[in-house]
Amino acid sequence: MSMFEWLENTPLAIWVGESLWGYPLMLSLHVIGLAIVVGIFAMRDLKLLGSFDGVAHGSLIGLVKLGWIGFVINALSGAALFTSQATTFVASTPFLLKIGSIFAAAMCAAVIQSRSRDEAAGWDAPGVSVPGSLRVIAAASLTLWVSAIVSGRLIAYL
Amino acid sequence: MEQAFVQAIEGTTINTWVLSSAWLWPTLEILHFLGLSLLLGSLLVVDLRLAGFFRQIDIAATHRLLPWSFVGFGLNLLTGILFVFGDPARYAANIGFRWKMVLVLIAGLNAVWFYRKIGPVMRSWDAHGDTPALAKLIAFVSLGTWTGVLLLGRLIPYIGTG
Repeated sequence: MSMFEWLENTPLAIWVGESLWGYPLMLSLHVIGLAIVVGIFAMRDLKLLGSFDGVAHGSLIGLVKLGWIGFVINALSGAALFTSQATTFVASTPFLLKIGSIFAAAMCAAVIQSRSRDEAAGWDAPGVSVPGSLRVIAAASLTLWVSAIVSGRLIAYL
Repeated sequence: MEQAFVQAIEGTTINTWVLSSAWLWPTLEILHFLGLSLLLGSLLVVDLRLAGFFRQIDIAATHRLLPWSFVGFGLNLLTGILFVFGDPARYAANIGFRWKMVLVLIAGLNAVWFYRKIGPVMRSWDAHGDTPALAKLIAFVSLGTWTGVLLLGRLIPYIGTG
């Protein structure tokens, strides 16, 4: 029996897959977490790309922590959803693409967060702009979250 | 009434178009998810600041995020209408969908309330200070109704069909 078959037979997987409210409850948490993590990180990326005049770069750092809360909600609810159909999901190309996109987007978020903490105070000065390398990372992050949503939705179809 | 609604939609050009391609429905779903991320993401920033949190953010500047709320809402209104045109019988009979529309309406009226009572005066507030009780109320109604919209929308396939 593979690890994924074993996972599908754990009490959590059986509760998620077979109880009346297990699956819808996890899906509900997953859409709330999605709105928080993608929503907040997308606003941060748009700010880095030059939007929202008057909103200081450093002032969004606190909100990014909330974005990570959404990330954790989705890692947990996503793991629970995964267990219920583990053997199907590991064989699904869109699922693997989704996980790859999220992993890469989280790396972008970590880099943006650490550089913002050190440098953001300087970016609001007149004539100064966000370093090009960071803007590239922000654009990559936006693209990766779109990719995560597209591939996540396609899991049900492909 | 439900039947008249379904009959009015079935067979229309838009109804046939939505059902004409296997790829259209998932594409609309993807756009609906992207739209909700833009709508909720921008409103989280605006509403949480309006509720008095994250005071590092200049409150008068938060209106710069609102265009993204309208882009997200417009995208979801359009794709949402196309869902209803594609499968009118399902939505007409769905309790979750009806309550979702009620909440969207409340959220819309709350937004009008914001533009009438808060929009004109928020520029004169302390940029990094606390906010009045009315602002907090409007912010929490917004966050509450949109969270409800999200949940009811996700649960449409699971909630009773009347």
